[in-house]
Amino acid sequence: MEYHLLTYSLLFLPAVVILYQLVQKRYRFIVLLAADYIFFWMVSKWLIVYLFIATLATYGTGRVLDYVSEHSSVKGKQLTKRKRCVLAAGIFVTLGMLVIFKYLKVFGITLLAPIGISYYTLQTISYMTDVYRGTVKADKNLARTALYLSFFPQIMEGPISRYSETAESLFSGSSIEYNNLVYGYQRILWGLFKKMMVADRLAPVIFKIFGDYERYDGSAVTVAVICYTFQLYTEFSGGMDIILGSGEIFGVKLPENFRQPFFADSAGDFWRRWHITLGTWLKDYIFYPISLAKPVKKLAKKVKGVWGINVSKFVAPTIALFFVWLSNGIWHGAGWTYLFYGMYYFVLIFLENITEAPRKKWIARMHINTEKIGWRLLTGVKLFVIINLGEMFFRAETVAQGFGMLGKICTDFHISVLKEADIGLDKYDIILAVASLFVVFLVDIIHEKGISIRNKVASFKMPLRWSFWYAVIFLIVIFGAYGAGYTIVDMIYAAY
Amino acid sequence: MEELIEILEELVPGEDVENCTTLIDDHILDSFGILSLVSEIEEAFDIEVSPAELTPGNFNSAAALWEMICRLKEEN
Repeated sequence: MEYHLLTYSLLFLPAVVILYQLVQKRYRFIVLLAADYIFFWMVSKWLIVYLFIATLATYGTGRVLDYVSEHSSVKGKQLTKRKRCVLAAGIFVTLGMLVIFKYLKVFGITLLAPIGISYYTLQTISYMTDVYRGTVKADKNLARTALYLSFFPQIMEGPISRYSETAESLFSGSSIEYNNLVYGYQRILWGLFKKMMVADRLAPVIFKIFGDYERYDGSAVTVAVICYTFQLYTEFSGGMDIILGSGEIFGVKLPENFRQPFFADSAGDFWRRWHITLGTWLKDYIFYPISLAKPVKKLAKKVKGVWGINVSKFVAPTIALFFVWLSNGIWHGAGWTYLFYGMYYFVLIFLENITEAPRKKWIARMHINTEKIGWRLLTGVKLFVIINLGEMFFRAETVAQGFGMLGKICTDFHISVLKEADIGLDKYDIILAVASLFVVFLVDIIHEKGISIRNKVASFKMPLRWSFWYAVIFLIVIFGAYGAGYTIVDMIYAAY
Repeated sequence: MEELIEILEELVPGEDVENCTTLIDDHILDSFGILSLVSEIEEAFDIEVSPAELTPGNFNSAAALWEMICRLKEEN
């Protein structure tokens, strides 16, 4: 079962909501946990055992860390050493399972992985590390830890939440409020709009041209690449809307994963707005620990002695940045394209960092107002090209295919051919896709200005308010890309 | 405290670092800025900042930073 299927939003979710509300407050967490495990079972059957192992390992590591901290006869560095051993053992178990399921295919062994293993494994690591660091207290309640790791709306594709963000609200069993229910379903509806009006509609173009790019002109390849970027955005962010909306119904505030990424002004800024929870996870558990590791600091000191502070200040962040992007690439899968994608952003963000000061000076010298529409448009177009190039390699079957497509775009581009090219969409679909994308970006512009559309609609009088939401429902029902002639595309990020 | 203010002023020129309480929340200090700051205060105050200390609560204001520095000095 996937979140965009009506069996989820019209059957599974309402059934859980009704049951949850019917039972007494203190038993509600049992309903949620049962729903989590039923959901997991429906998709991954016996592979649920690995979720149990990860849960027990995470819970156990937390408790042992707690015990060692309170009862250990040693203090200071020796205590830290002991705690580090416990943490390493816990991470070895949960990360080990991820490595086995995800990366053994490098050696030709392909195993069917449990759903969401890439997401809940990162949550196990963050919890255990936070307990080790002392920023979170080890949970004595196994059910609460289990709930944190398996919440059914987020299990398939995140967001990657922290224990301190969701565990308590999942366990508390708060009653379902009318506002939460309405707001939650409104957000689910918006997610379905993105998925069914844009993402699934664009799928044939991407499937057709990426699958046989050599047959197409560079202009058609460009269209396919741009379509893929929009598909990925509307699919993943739409999925997040469904997930966050589902959480909202139960009073669980899951962290946002997108913040109008196409309004970023640099590659670094783009990644602070796109897949936010993966970015912040990598920052907290890879970037900072590596930057502050003793050997890295020593190296930075040595460089400072030789080349001065202007060079040495980049040493620690650059080494850490390399590992962040290596991890980001590998996290997406065991493929050279993912590694390339990670290194692509490493190089871009590294260049942005080392040129930041001279760029700022140049902008000041040229008296450029960076808030003016012309400048923002220019940086917007530059970033859009950067994003599309990255996504092209990300989606390509091989790095060679990525370069092949780039070659087509650069050397065989004839816009006049595009009119006749069969890109897999008829006029009706093109008009609907463009119109829907226009709506998506209009909403993004409004959100970028800090205006909440839901609150705005909620302030309308009841007849107008309900007419608005009915219009959205009918729009999806009548014009959605489903039924004959369309294929419901699997959630892209559930595969990572 | 004066030395800390000097470090902050050098790192984020033009900001009212003495009174600002949203150095992290308003992205005045990004992750690179935080690392530069950590490196400076480690050297200036002879302390060691662990990744666990890199929270908005510790870095949002000069006062919070000073509190962290004093605590880490005591622990040393």
